[in-house]
Amino acid sequence: MPLVSTQLPPSTHEFAEVIHRLEAGGSMLPDTPENLMQIIGIYKAYAVPMDFYWRDLLYIAERVFLEPFSFFKYIIPQEYLDLHNHYAGDDADLRIWRGPATAHPELLAFIENGRTGKMPTLLHHLLHDRINMEFAEACMRAMLWHRKMYAPVNQFDAYLDSEEYRANADKAVKAYFQNNPVMLGLYKLFPDMFLEQCRQMSYYSNLGLFWEVMAPVFFEMSDIYDEGGFKGVPDAMNFLVNGIFAIAGRPIYHHVYINGECYEIIPKTKGFTWLYEAALPYVEAVFYRTAPFRGTKSYNAQVGQVPANQEDFHYGILYADVFPVGTAGIPPTLLMQDMMHFLPAYLSDYYKQHCRGEDDVLIQLGVSFQRSMYNVTSAVIQALRTALLYPLDDPNPRHLQANREFFEMQLNRFTRSDYGMRDSARLKQIQSQDYR
Amino acid sequence: MLSVLIWLPTIAAAMIGFLPKSISTSWIRFISLTVAGLALLWNLWILLKFNINYSGMQFEEYLPWNETLGLNYQLGVDGLSILMLILNSLLTWIAIYSSSRETQRPRLFYSLVLLVSGGVNGAFLAQNLLMFFLFYELELIPFYLLICIWGGEKRAYAGMKFLIYTAVSGALILAAFLGTVWLSGAHSFALNTISTANLAPGMQLLLLTGIIIGFGVKIPLIPLHTWLPDAYVEASAPVAILLGGVLAKLGTYGLLRFGMAMFPDAWSVVAPSLAVWGAVSAIYGAIVAIAQTDIKRMVAYSSIGHMGYILLAGAASTPLALVGAVAQMFSHGLILAILFHLVGIIEAKVGTRELGKLNGLMSPIRGLPIISALLVLSGMASAGIPGLTGFVAEFMVFQGSFSVFPIPTLLCVVASGLTAVYFVILLNNTCFGKLNNNLAYYPKVVWAEKIPALILASLIIFLGVQPHWLVRWSQTTTTAIVATISSPSIGDKNAISINPITTIHP
Repeated sequence: MPLVSTQLPPSTHEFAEVIHRLEAGGSMLPDTPENLMQIIGIYKAYAVPMDFYWRDLLYIAERVFLEPFSFFKYIIPQEYLDLHNHYAGDDADLRIWRGPATAHPELLAFIENGRTGKMPTLLHHLLHDRINMEFAEACMRAMLWHRKMYAPVNQFDAYLDSEEYRANADKAVKAYFQNNPVMLGLYKLFPDMFLEQCRQMSYYSNLGLFWEVMAPVFFEMSDIYDEGGFKGVPDAMNFLVNGIFAIAGRPIYHHVYINGECYEIIPKTKGFTWLYEAALPYVEAVFYRTAPFRGTKSYNAQVGQVPANQEDFHYGILYADVFPVGTAGIPPTLLMQDMMHFLPAYLSDYYKQHCRGEDDVLIQLGVSFQRSMYNVTSAVIQALRTALLYPLDDPNPRHLQANREFFEMQLNRFTRSDYGMRDSARLKQIQSQDYR
Repeated sequence: MLSVLIWLPTIAAAMIGFLPKSISTSWIRFISLTVAGLALLWNLWILLKFNINYSGMQFEEYLPWNETLGLNYQLGVDGLSILMLILNSLLTWIAIYSSSRETQRPRLFYSLVLLVSGGVNGAFLAQNLLMFFLFYELELIPFYLLICIWGGEKRAYAGMKFLIYTAVSGALILAAFLGTVWLSGAHSFALNTISTANLAPGMQLLLLTGIIIGFGVKIPLIPLHTWLPDAYVEASAPVAILLGGVLAKLGTYGLLRFGMAMFPDAWSVVAPSLAVWGAVSAIYGAIVAIAQTDIKRMVAYSSIGHMGYILLAGAASTPLALVGAVAQMFSHGLILAILFHLVGIIEAKVGTRELGKLNGLMSPIRGLPIISALLVLSGMASAGIPGLTGFVAEFMVFQGSFSVFPIPTLLCVVASGLTAVYFVILLNNTCFGKLNNNLAYYPKVVWAEKIPALILASLIIFLGVQPHWLVRWSQTTTTAIVATISSPSIGDKNAISINPITTIHP
């Protein structure tokens, strides 16, 4: 039975059913047990590599920094595997996950054994039997490339162009290369090049700090589901919405450690926060605009297949081609490969029963990921509505109309026919369980 | 020894037809496969024993049958037929292997396939005109039933058209055979007793025309080809493999054996016309193939084009051209078989053969990547890309024919180029591009479906890099046949055109 607001006439939007669901506090994803099982299973499978992503992103931002030959940046030191997550473990700032603060046990087991068996980490790395940090870096670069978003609430980005940031970065660069006259000479010649690298490192840190929160959120959701705690997709979405507000004020910063000394390129005292400086830009850049996520198809800029305006970019996860070619360089493929190692048994069994079973598990997994990210996007949309607009049970019809217009505006992003967005978003497909 | 190739499948066909209904389709298929496998092994054993340095008939068998009619059971094999026997046995095995395990009326289906196989072997082995005709006609009804019962939507129409055309073909051939024997004064239908040298040139031309048109329907040559697209397209994949891979070769074999070899004088008169006819067929087949939107129909028209090369080579009648003709018959059989098999798989999995609907099958996970890769290989082989058997055969045909008929040969070279055009169209639409996310829920291709294609692909590559294994069997025989033909324009060029063979034959 459709959940339509009693105070407004039914929406005439093409996706009126989805609008009504959002107005009733639901998700863009239909509330079915199968959808709930898929998205929670994927959150769990996503969270384990994400636990690696955030640790390695912080390691690169804080330790590898401007190393010109960073061949071993994906080989994470034990110190960062033992790094305590601020939202898990006994000493958490806010305990979201009831599990340990250090790296997830399944992640540690995978780092040690991989799929090929126990061998030195470097061999695992060379055999590509590892967590693919390329995906995480693609997300980071998407945020870097799509700057200026959510200004003025997002002050992090503007700060990167400030004199204060330049001065802080200058200190760190000079300290990092203090015994390296060649690099210092290059820095003298091309200071902006080094500064841009610093900005990229700041985004490494930004994304690492963002995912440090998301990993325990997803772990906890998986545990709650295993305990029978979620009754439907809206429950899962509301958990995310509540989580977003609970940790919205988490500081976003960039510290670099050089010879035991901490250089605060972006100090915590600047007051940049998780919601506005990390979460919103992340959703905008990664979910909607990430450059190469459309997959294997080549685009022809000369015939207008590539948007001229940045706001029209639409290559994000929500538009991702779920048919990977299985090669490195296509980030969704790499993410799917990462998630495949950590699928919960119920999800593996589910995939075996459909389509080509184990043979096309990567694609089935990709479709589930798309569903799960529509649910996360729904959580963000509801969170934005909560922050910027009105409650869903507001008695004022004009407020409800404003909410509706906000929801419709969000959905319109998926229904534009420009650049094939409409076909790529597959919002219609995810309304059906047969889309696998 | 040779009789086994005829009677093993034929007797097995009869036995399978009377198997009790309780035996499952899988078992019937397995029995048929075993029989076809044994016939293939027997054929390979004959191949091993075959003397490549002897140009005449080998392993001859003779049994008096109806001597008053001049009809005797007389078999033999030479360089012209040995490869055709292998091709028939191999493709019969492939066709049975590629048939569905859920084939309806399996006893009838596999009986007919084995009957066809035995009959085709009989036709290739027959050394008596009437016996050849009997085996030649034996194919007619089984193929008609195979098309009409297990065919596609318009199977009845296609089957009837096939029946009428090939019946007319048979009638013409019978008339030509009877005329040849009666008018030449021969006392028997035995091939080695017939000489047309004493016949008036006009009569020779008339009889040869009957043979050319009769076998031209079977090959087929334009404008006698209109049964082919319907029959090939409507037939199921295993039957299409036999139709294109084997039956068409009966036409070209008949033309060379009973046209060129039996009427050498008249042949040299009509050779220029035949060369032009071959070139026109090749060009026509290629151009019409380009215009097709159904991939099976495209493959069917490609067959018409490639058969034109054989006619050109036969018309040129140089040793190299004739070796090329035999090689082309064998290569074309392999390539057409793999193409029909692959198209059959694509149709079964995707549910369409329409170029406009097919896309992105090379996609590694949800597509048909191995099948697509093999389709690319087959397309390359058909287009005559070096390193594959199609190149070897076409190169010899062109090289051997150019000195005699340069313009028709150049036209055939152009047709060969056009082959690449329509295969690029086919491959570009079918294999490449973006797989439609909404439609791509195709069943996966199991190994059993890949094996026939892998066997054929291996042979296509092997014979492409080792052409010696393709040409050595027929070289002596074709050279001997050429020696009997007094081509008006060949003259001393025969000697020149022999050389390329020696470069292939280490």
